[in-house]
Amino acid sequence: MSTEPLAADASGCDSSSSRLKAPSPRPVSGIVCRSEEDTAEQAQPWHPISRARLPERVRAESFIGGTRRGMIVSLMFLGGLAVAARLVQLQVVEHNRLAARGTRQKSYVEILPAPPGDLLDRDGRVLATSIVARSLFVLPENIADPWPCAQRLARALHLDPGRLCERLQQSDKKFAWVKRRLTPEDEQAVRALRLPAGTWDFREEYVRRYPQGNLAAHVLGLRDVDGICRGGLEQSLEVVLRGQPGRRTLYRDARGRVIDVPDDTDVPPQPGRSVVTTLDSVVQLYAERELDRVVEEWKPQGACAVVQDPASGEILAMASRPAFDPNHPERVSEDAWKNRAVAWIYEPGSTFKPFVVAGAMDRGRIHPDEEIDCAGGETRLASRVFHDTHPYGLLNVGDVLVKSSNIGMSRIGARLTNAELFATIATFGFGRVPGSGLPGEIGGVLRPVKVWSSYSNASLSIGQELAVTPLQMIAAHSALANGGTLKSPKLVLRTLNAPADSATNLPLATGVVSRATDHETARWLVEGPMREVVLRGTGTRANLPGFSVFGKTGTAQKLDSETGAYSVDKYVSSFLCGAPAENPRVVVLVVVDEPSTGGSHYGGTVAAPAAAEILRQTLAYLRVPPDESRDGPHDITAVRTPGRVGQAVPAVR
Amino acid sequence: MYFRFGAAVVLAVLVAVAGIAVEKRCLTLRRALTREHYRYEVLRDLYARQRLRTQQLGAPARLFEALESDRRELIARKPPGSRREQIASEPSTSTHE
Repeated sequence: MSTEPLAADASGCDSSSSRLKAPSPRPVSGIVCRSEEDTAEQAQPWHPISRARLPERVRAESFIGGTRRGMIVSLMFLGGLAVAARLVQLQVVEHNRLAARGTRQKSYVEILPAPPGDLLDRDGRVLATSIVARSLFVLPENIADPWPCAQRLARALHLDPGRLCERLQQSDKKFAWVKRRLTPEDEQAVRALRLPAGTWDFREEYVRRYPQGNLAAHVLGLRDVDGICRGGLEQSLEVVLRGQPGRRTLYRDARGRVIDVPDDTDVPPQPGRSVVTTLDSVVQLYAERELDRVVEEWKPQGACAVVQDPASGEILAMASRPAFDPNHPERVSEDAWKNRAVAWIYEPGSTFKPFVVAGAMDRGRIHPDEEIDCAGGETRLASRVFHDTHPYGLLNVGDVLVKSSNIGMSRIGARLTNAELFATIATFGFGRVPGSGLPGEIGGVLRPVKVWSSYSNASLSIGQELAVTPLQMIAAHSALANGGTLKSPKLVLRTLNAPADSATNLPLATGVVSRATDHETARWLVEGPMREVVLRGTGTRANLPGFSVFGKTGTAQKLDSETGAYSVDKYVSSFLCGAPAENPRVVVLVVVDEPSTGGSHYGGTVAAPAAAEILRQTLAYLRVPPDESRDGPHDITAVRTPGRVGQAVPAVR
Repeated sequence: MYFRFGAAVVLAVLVAVAGIAVEKRCLTLRRALTREHYRYEVLRDLYARQRLRTQQLGAPARLFEALESDRRELIARKPPGSRREQIASEPSTSTHE
């Protein structure tokens, strides 16, 4: 804008203004000086100005003023346009994003945890359930003076005030737990403190409780303080037990206070499904107590016991030592986590021998009447010398098992080719995972035939050079007990509150069934030699008056890791028994790892009494009627011989 | 005309008042429903706790110990001829008239 001409005309204006008495003209933007004529016309400010009558200079100035107006109008228009564009951008283009952001700011979605399902035993007793517990947390950044707060909280909850104050003073922490899983008394004590609002609150959590204490702890597993499953059925059935968390939307004001809880957005939590296990708490208790007695008497490295129904494959009890209380996960020692029934392997020794006999008999390589030369208690095979505990001469097949002759068994095993022996062992489920579904379950060690040595055949025939789990062993013996059908061990009966088609989705419902041996062979082994083992063999301590108990002892040397040879003072003692022999209802296995006191290491001494006691109590509990007079057994010579139905087995000596 | 106008105003006010009453009733019911939900949750928690306690008290381990200790006590206290047998063997001294 040129200001000089206008400034020069300012004096003229002043001179003319003295002659005019009209009210001061309405200021017109951009026109500061006027001629006298014009001034007269403009005495009345509303008088229209004829642009034709304006002098050139004024017309130029008027043009400038018009341009300014145009620019202002344009600017206003552009401003309006910009506002409109911004509105379109906010309301149309970014509508969804901004709407979602607004909703986020005013609403808060609270996750509602789902209560996990219960674990029940087969009679409906609760093995694991969940209750609500409140945990106390604080917001350190909202606490102005941490020390008095820490002192009061520590006094109420019996905590260390110094350590609590340290946690509260961590200014970078926006959230800090004070104490998890408060008792109702703790909760009342905290409420009574009347701490400032906005500095603390409770959070509800589901806490797992095991009302039976340490009963079946290894089978159940546990859930830690954060609800994470650790081992057992808790872990393997997590998908079934956990349920679906729900959610609830809360609307908050600017200060974060909840002002509304709309019902239509609620998704209620779906509780987890409860699972009925095959365990029986009473039978489990029998097993646990007997194991405790074994541990107390023999001070072993560990021990385990399994009770199975051979007809269905259902596990009635499974116990392992050392044990733990799942209600106190913080106290579990390192060695107590292992479930020895499924996650520990051992060389089975003599308890393995009946399977080799079954394989040889199924293939017609031996006959029960046949007599085996046991070489007087010692024989050499390649570079290895086989010994028997007692020297035997000629023994029939049944007596080889009754006396548990290693030499006799090596001779029977030699009737089978390596491939046949391998097939026999594999048919009984060794070398593969039994399929109970428990976490950590292993399949043992069964080496392929191509790596067998010249005496592997003999070693395997006496239960060496392979490693099995106790669960594999009892499953295989159950196959003998039920007439030759191998069934995968079963730990889950059913789920409750489940959709109709969910039974097939259970992670544990394997139910694999296969024919392991001939029915007649299995019956002969159980009712013949294995019954005799209890009557007059190595397992006489397991004899129960009134019941036809069958069994097999096992005493296996452990491998010395330092020398690489079999140890002379470390043994695994085991005993397997069942009853009644004619129609076995229960099979019990007790395995004791390295009994260190008591002066014996034989399965018939260490494990047999405990197994027999479990069997006795279980039979009484299941109301299985005695099948024999208390004076003695029936005539076992009436037991049918495989392939020769009706003929008696030769009397065993 | 004034009458019609007044009637319309009164009608509108009545509708508004009715709406407020309905909304108030609705809020009352919602409060009641929320309260019932809360009570239900409290009862459910209580049920879970009581069930847990029941199971703990009825656990076989606990019952068996009690039963067996009682049995042991009875066996220990039982004289060669128990009181029951003595009573049964003794002639009745009571007379029933």
